[in-house]
Amino acid sequence: MLLAQLSLNALALGSSYALIALGFVLVLNATGAVNFAQGDAVMAGGFIAIAAASFFPEAFNTYGIVMLPIVLVGTGLLGLALSAVAYLPLRRHPPVTVFVSTIAVGIILTNSFNALFGAAPRATPPLLGGGQTVLGNLSLSQQSLAVIATAAALIAGLGFLLHATQLGRRLRATAQDPEIARALGINVTRMICLSFILGTALAGTAGLLLANQFFLTPNDGGVLMLKAYIAVAIGGWGSLRGAAAGAMFIAFFEVFVATWLSHPVAEAGLYLALFAVLLLRPQGLYGEAVQRRA
Amino acid sequence: MPWKHILTAAMLLGATGAAGQTLPILVPLTGFLSLEGTSQRNGATLALADAAADLGVEHDISDTGTSPEVAVNAFLRAMDQDDVRAVVAPMLGTQMLALLPLATEFKMPLLTVSGTASITEQGNPYIFRFFPGDSVVKQAHARYAVEELGAKRPAVIFQTTAYGQSGRTHLAANLTELGSPPVLEEPLDVAVKDMLPVLTKARQAGADALLLHLHAGPTALVVRQAAAMGLDIPIVAGSAMHQPATAALLEPDELTGVCAETGSSPISGGHPDIETFTERYQAEFDTQPDAFALHQYDAVRMYLAALAKGAVNADDIQAALSSESYEGLAMTYKSDGTGNMAHDAVIICYDGSSRTPEIVKRYENLSGVL
Repeated sequence: MLLAQLSLNALALGSSYALIALGFVLVLNATGAVNFAQGDAVMAGGFIAIAAASFFPEAFNTYGIVMLPIVLVGTGLLGLALSAVAYLPLRRHPPVTVFVSTIAVGIILTNSFNALFGAAPRATPPLLGGGQTVLGNLSLSQQSLAVIATAAALIAGLGFLLHATQLGRRLRATAQDPEIARALGINVTRMICLSFILGTALAGTAGLLLANQFFLTPNDGGVLMLKAYIAVAIGGWGSLRGAAAGAMFIAFFEVFVATWLSHPVAEAGLYLALFAVLLLRPQGLYGEAVQRRA
Repeated sequence: MPWKHILTAAMLLGATGAAGQTLPILVPLTGFLSLEGTSQRNGATLALADAAADLGVEHDISDTGTSPEVAVNAFLRAMDQDDVRAVVAPMLGTQMLALLPLATEFKMPLLTVSGTASITEQGNPYIFRFFPGDSVVKQAHARYAVEELGAKRPAVIFQTTAYGQSGRTHLAANLTELGSPPVLEEPLDVAVKDMLPVLTKARQAGADALLLHLHAGPTALVVRQAAAMGLDIPIVAGSAMHQPATAALLEPDELTGVCAETGSSPISGGHPDIETFTERYQAEFDTQPDAFALHQYDAVRMYLAALAKGAVNADDIQAALSSESYEGLAMTYKSDGTGNMAHDAVIICYDGSSRTPEIVKRYENLSGVL
């Protein structure tokens, strides 16, 4: 029973990490540079949901599912703004320039949330309901189940978009080789903007999902960004499957090692695992999909 | 304005020579401690609003963020001002440790509510802590768990930060002294989200009480997850649990039976003056006050009282804070010789019907100074 309980918690946590990491990889593939504002996009999703809830009547504002479309649109627009401010004007510069510009945008977002919402931890409404379903000795959080289902649906939707639509093929072509994609008539700038929009919308959704169970403060973005970075490094730099697998690995590792040993050991062990992957299999579990990295 | 009020104000100004003096308020308004820093700022400014006009005290607020360098720069900028006789200093321990040498160099009293034990262990005569330190509150924390709840096998869960380590040391020592040494001492990083592992360990260790020394978010996470997994043992949390912002994260039924130590709990009322303070604070800042706000309010009021009695420079303020006692709203303050001004603690508990706790136990003069 304990094993099942821990696995459910790890799966819910990993699902949210996966959304963040997938968004991170989308931008990485499209631009070849790391978007360090990804963690703050997670926070943006949570705060947009909290702000939106205040405009709804009480019958609706207790359900996160009502806020989900608003979060997707709001963080998608944030992604568009991020690409316009932090990437496109600097695209001819070395990737490290984008690295720095996204850090700057992240800091601005953090302090803006702090000014607008205050520093106190906040919670978003549960997606459908906040209770527990008890099955024998197993206590299933309805929010955890909803998080897993929502993340699975979004990841499946992303997979469908990338692999079964013309738009997805254009996005992948841009990620693989922008110059050839441009020569083939693909509007690369538009595809890059779309990657930012999708990437931040996924992160924003993670913010909505995570903040109900785990709360959020304006300063949490950096930690989540680090988790996404590790997930991508373990899974394979630029690989969408690898990002999802890396996110699950982190969550299961954290939960199980912390239970049998302790949280500090889990934390140290995670970085040792990262180090081992970088040393023994630098391309990550699923291989490397892009050539440049920053 | 009646003539006698004008005359009184003129006498006060004449007595203190206070016209144009500034009280710098250096607090963390951004970063992970910004909730508490905002309380500090609000408490200080509310105290100044009460009496500062009569005494001619203006204030200047600086955000110290989370790094010692920013706090040092803010302090140095504050020292450039014409007439500074004391400084409201940040509650972040690492910033306070960086400011202590500067306080000595400029002979400048620092008024803080920082809980980090070591700031008053440096032999610095310019530090004045108006919030009970761990040596006081952890005594109350352990005593309540053992003497009132009958804990024999407590589990201590603490943050890996300096704040957490300090609390753990005092808590474990007090529990051992009371004959109930902890069966589990588990550190948690502030970024840990899933509390099921640590709660599972506490259950497996056979703990009969959970004693927390965590920041606001992790405290709420532990309380919520303990309720969700049906962990039927009492929880006595650290001072973060008394903060209205922490309680707001939880449903009242999740808070049933949860207790916490703190220096005071203004929203619990108990005295007309505290209730007036709470009402004014809510009206001014549109949020409920916590103990940090109340204690910083008291700190600035004691400084203003020293001015009103004729303190004309930083040395006078330092002398007054070192030697005099002050009847504040939260408690009576008096230095123990190292700058610890607060010696009482309270235990608050939630009854499950609301997010407003009740003070269930008062521990007075725990350090024997008063």
